[in-house]
Amino acid sequence: MSYKVSLQTFEGPFDLLVYLIENAQMSIYDIKIAEITKQYMEYIETMKSMDVLVATEFMVLAATLIDIKSKMLLPRTATIDGTYIDEDPRSELVERLLEYKKYKKGADFLKEQEELMSMVYEKPQEDISAYLEEPDEYLALDIKQFASAFELFLRKKKKEEDVRAHYTRVEREKATIESRMSFIKNKFRSAFTHGLRRLSLKELIPNKKDKYDVVVTFISVLQLMRDKYLNAEQKSTYGEIEIIPGERELEDEQ
Amino acid sequence: MNSKKTIKSAFESMMYIWGEPLDVKDAADIFNISREDAEKYFLELQQEYEQEGRGIVIRQINKSFQFVTRPENAEYIERLCTPVKIKRLSQSALEVLAIIAYRQPVTKGEIDAIRGVKSDRVIDGLMKKNLVMVTGKSNGIGRPLLYGTTEEFLKNFGFTSIKDLPDIENIESVINVEADSEIVYDDVEKSQISIDEVEYESDGTEKNEE
Repeated sequence: MSYKVSLQTFEGPFDLLVYLIENAQMSIYDIKIAEITKQYMEYIETMKSMDVLVATEFMVLAATLIDIKSKMLLPRTATIDGTYIDEDPRSELVERLLEYKKYKKGADFLKEQEELMSMVYEKPQEDISAYLEEPDEYLALDIKQFASAFELFLRKKKKEEDVRAHYTRVEREKATIESRMSFIKNKFRSAFTHGLRRLSLKELIPNKKDKYDVVVTFISVLQLMRDKYLNAEQKSTYGEIEIIPGERELEDEQ
Repeated sequence: MNSKKTIKSAFESMMYIWGEPLDVKDAADIFNISREDAEKYFLELQQEYEQEGRGIVIRQINKSFQFVTRPENAEYIERLCTPVKIKRLSQSALEVLAIIAYRQPVTKGEIDAIRGVKSDRVIDGLMKKNLVMVTGKSNGIGRPLLYGTTEEFLKNFGFTSIKDLPDIENIESVINVEADSEIVYDDVEKSQISIDEVEYESDGTEKNEE
């Protein structure tokens, strides 16, 4: 048999701290740090003993509390420009707690509003498409106009059929890598005769608009580079890729 | 030129058909009148409904108006049919919503700092419910997202505009005043004996003990 222990849940470390302070009927402006720290740590221990995962945020505040507690033991004066100023190590925590309490109250207010508004019902928008749809348009045509329009349509259709009957759609033969490789080799041979030893990759693509063509050229160049016929250079990122002859002679066929 | 009476009457019909909050701009454009005039007419209508204690009230959300039921009649509507109850927000969701409502535009970091806990999941939940939205990016380090409330938020919590929120510095007094005004609803509830009432009273005694 297991016991169910009800433990008040807190939204966060501040929530817990505010609860402890209020429960001890302490003034938030004069928190008895030693006492509150003790209670806070006790609560965290309870959480641990009940196998509740203690969130790191709770530990952070625990550390802050201990830090403040130790500072409270030290003389609380600081010198700024030669004048002594009383410094309360609690002041920052108090400020944050007050800020948190403010929004906690805000949350309470919203909760009340939510409660109140749950009594108000609205009608969801109904299907109003019946009011939104365009009214039918009536054709203001006489029968002669209508007949000629139909005749025009028939003639157009016949013409289209004639064209279809005489022509068939053909697919252009797609270049193969082999054919592109020999195309590239030929390009280089003719370049050599003109004394050129360097061609840009762009010049090796017959149809630059065709993605397929670009890819075929690119793969062919890679293949030729692998076979050591060609080499490539690129001076900058996204720069022009230049192709130069490799170690093997172009005529050297395996 | 249409008379004021005609326009107001038309606005009433338009609100009825539209169902959703009707934009003042849309209404004004139909009659080619200024938005200020249109808004004035809507507010007059709202007052007329209020004065006569009609079962329908006109609710304002920013620059739009909508027909909704009078809250006092909720019980009877619920007896007639079972409207879908909207799940209430959790305490943490309300906290985050309050911070966003009052501090907007606000970053996640600021929300976390005030609450002392991470609020990512709560914010995601509120975004899903369409109560908050990203309103922009902060100029701070890392340009974090800024959050603000939506019109849906105004609607669900009964605010006309974000300026309607009571001052956070003296919110405590506002809550007390609201609690007093709830006595009106008490009378309605007393006519019906229910478990709710018993709970209500036990709440009351608790308060007295404090």
